[in-house]
Amino acid sequence: MAAAAEARGGDFPVGMKVLVVDDDPTCLVVLKRMLLECRYDVTTCPQATRALTMLRENRRGFDVIISDVHMPDMDGFRLLELVGLEMDLPVIMMSADSRTDIVMKGIKHGACDYLIKPVRMEELKNIWQHVVRKKFNENKDHEHSGSLDDTDRNRPNNNDNEYASSANDGGDGSWKSQKKKREKEEDEADLESGDPSSTSKKPRVVWSVELHQQFVNAVNHLGIDKAVPKKILELMNVPGLTRENVASHLQKFRLYLKRIAQHHAGIPHPFVAPASSAKVAPLGGLEFQALAASGQIPPQALAALQDELLGRPTSSLALPGRDQSSLRLAAIKGNKPHGEREIAFGQPIYKCQNNAYGAFPQSSPGLGGLPSFGAWPNNKLGMTDSPSALGNVSNSQNSNLLLHELQQQPDSLLTGTLQNIDVKPSGIVMPSQSLNAFPASEGISPNQNPLVIPSQSQSFLASIPPSMKHEPLLASSSPSNSLLGGIDMVNQASTSQPLISTHGANLPGLMNRSSNAMPSSGICNFQSGNNPYVVNQNAMGVSSRPPGVLKTESTDSLNRSYGYIGGSTSVDSGLLSSQSKNPQYGLLQNPNDITGSWSPSQDIDSYGNTLGQGHPGSTSSNYQSSNVALGKLPDQGRGRNHGFVGKGTCIPSRFAVDEVESPTNNLSHSIGSSADIVNPDIFGFSGQM
Amino acid sequence: MDYSNLRRQAASMKKSLFDQGYLDEQFCQVEDLQDEASPNFAEEVVTLFFKDSARLISNIEQALEKYPKDFNKWDAYMQQLKGSCSSIGASRMKSECMSFRDYCGQGNIEGCMKSFQKVKREHGVLRQKLEAYFQLLRQAGPAGAATRPAM
Repeated sequence: MAAAAEARGGDFPVGMKVLVVDDDPTCLVVLKRMLLECRYDVTTCPQATRALTMLRENRRGFDVIISDVHMPDMDGFRLLELVGLEMDLPVIMMSADSRTDIVMKGIKHGACDYLIKPVRMEELKNIWQHVVRKKFNENKDHEHSGSLDDTDRNRPNNNDNEYASSANDGGDGSWKSQKKKREKEEDEADLESGDPSSTSKKPRVVWSVELHQQFVNAVNHLGIDKAVPKKILELMNVPGLTRENVASHLQKFRLYLKRIAQHHAGIPHPFVAPASSAKVAPLGGLEFQALAASGQIPPQALAALQDELLGRPTSSLALPGRDQSSLRLAAIKGNKPHGEREIAFGQPIYKCQNNAYGAFPQSSPGLGGLPSFGAWPNNKLGMTDSPSALGNVSNSQNSNLLLHELQQQPDSLLTGTLQNIDVKPSGIVMPSQSLNAFPASEGISPNQNPLVIPSQSQSFLASIPPSMKHEPLLASSSPSNSLLGGIDMVNQASTSQPLISTHGANLPGLMNRSSNAMPSSGICNFQSGNNPYVVNQNAMGVSSRPPGVLKTESTDSLNRSYGYIGGSTSVDSGLLSSQSKNPQYGLLQNPNDITGSWSPSQDIDSYGNTLGQGHPGSTSSNYQSSNVALGKLPDQGRGRNHGFVGKGTCIPSRFAVDEVESPTNNLSHSIGSSADIVNPDIFGFSGQM
Repeated sequence: MDYSNLRRQAASMKKSLFDQGYLDEQFCQVEDLQDEASPNFAEEVVTLFFKDSARLISNIEQALEKYPKDFNKWDAYMQQLKGSCSSIGASRMKSECMSFRDYCGQGNIEGCMKSFQKVKREHGVLRQKLEAYFQLLRQAGPAGAATRPAM
């Protein structure tokens, strides 16, 4: 039997990482030895609390957990629950207690199996099946568009009883295969042994953007600390949704927030702060991403999107303070596997900003996609120059730049870009709210629109459109003003966006001046259709910057910002949709404001085209000239950026709520479809992202 | 020294331990885990067991005094000891542990007390026998170790 099992698994069982938790040292020693004999990789831990910490720190460090039921510091069932919720790893319970009710309890709590002590070697040889089974079931779930954890857990539980008892009989291969078969059948039949409680199979719940938004709203309403599944469920008032669905979702959400918080540690923006429920809300997009990352959404899809959008540099959603490269990374973050992705969402926004600003010069890989904003000086929106500047501080500058740029750029650019969050138009990295924004950065990368300013961008963009649209890229100083002004406005507009605020807020300088992080509406609006900015090509003229540059850094940032913007929408999801055309536009109108706030000089320099000053440095020149070009971001950047718009985050599309389609794929879509994106062509890429 | 003779003695001792019910199949599993890398694994585990079980027994003793009639607590402690016993195959000791738990379930204080004494006794006896066994094994040399008794 063991041989058969191993043969089936090939080399798989070898090296499988097992964590054994038991306060009994004798048992621990014996088990460890047995597991080593099975050629597994064993870690033992006599304390449940310590084991939990280990798992939390290194979730991927283990494939399966074996835990005793009776432990002094923590109940084994509790550990089982937590592991299942937080890490979603298979847990095998173990005890000298063979009472049926205890075994039943184990199963109900989600144990993959229940072994009666003394555990025999044969039983341990088969535990790898649980790992495989779980993964297999999870994949299946994803195919079915995501089922919740409890569903997954329930499935294996069905057979636990049988398994437990069989195990004692020294389950043999035949029994196991029978079990497997039965489990599969159950899967298909979606049966559940008349378990009245939550363990019974429930219809799979797909955490759509809207649903997630409702969830987030409920959580915010209650306050993240006080948000309990039951209350959330009540607030959400979604028929068919169960407390368990909410509970598992909440767990993931909390983890996500935690990760975001860690990432944004440097960023003062509340966005990150999970504690502030208010802020949390805006995360919508981000969360979505996070959620997606956490498995709600096929991570692969998400990852793919992000990768594309971000141009893969992952994760460095770094704080705004970081220099572009880091920014880009941040955007990329989304691309990072799983956990990273989650954060990425939020990050892009930040990053975008930086990147957008400073990133340009750098070849933001992800950015490539920068929208045709192109007009925006890829060159450095000024932001890039000073890494620090980019950071929070620079953000302001950058944002200024962006704004500046935005202003300069024709509205179309902005709108174009903003639209989807994906839009990522010229550098306006508007964080497309949902993490999707990341992808946006790509598109946006041509930081041409430094203005894209990540978080802010959203609102920013929105705001920009009006002014930007028609203004040639800051070709002349005045335009810049407008840009700035516009940007300013954008920032202001965005303020409301919590999500964006994170970014926006972070965009230190950029748009955030008012740290209003673009009001979500702003963002949406921006994007929504107005975004001619995005197009940049025309207006911005920023494009002078080689798309490549934008891409890399800016892309990231842009993407991020795009994502952010979009993201912000995600938060609001309505943002995008709100297309309110421009509340932000209004913003643009105060070039003066913008300039003032930004300290244009700084921005510009890095940017090349000082926003305020209207004379872009190296880049700025581009900027100016690129005003026209804005729309046309170099293909590389643009096309990519655009692509970014669409891509990047699958979420964005969701969040973008209406328009933004999941990045990459929808770039064209989002651009085109969302009505927001004004003409993909403007961007220079024809929507094919 | 006649190693083969010592080995035979060790084997015979082990067999009698099994026959008398002091040890069960689990002990064989533990011994089977021995190999070149860990040639004294069984002895190490048994040593660890006795050290830990002494602590558990002392806990139970205190609980019996400090928490009179707290059957749940007593049961919980004994549960731990039982788990430990089962890990090395200490069969008779395990039976007594179960017996104690039964008495707890019944709320039978006297039954618990008596049973506990038996647990302690079994613990002592087993320790003696296994110490003798392992000593013999050590004398007999590694070859004489893991030999499954004809059960």
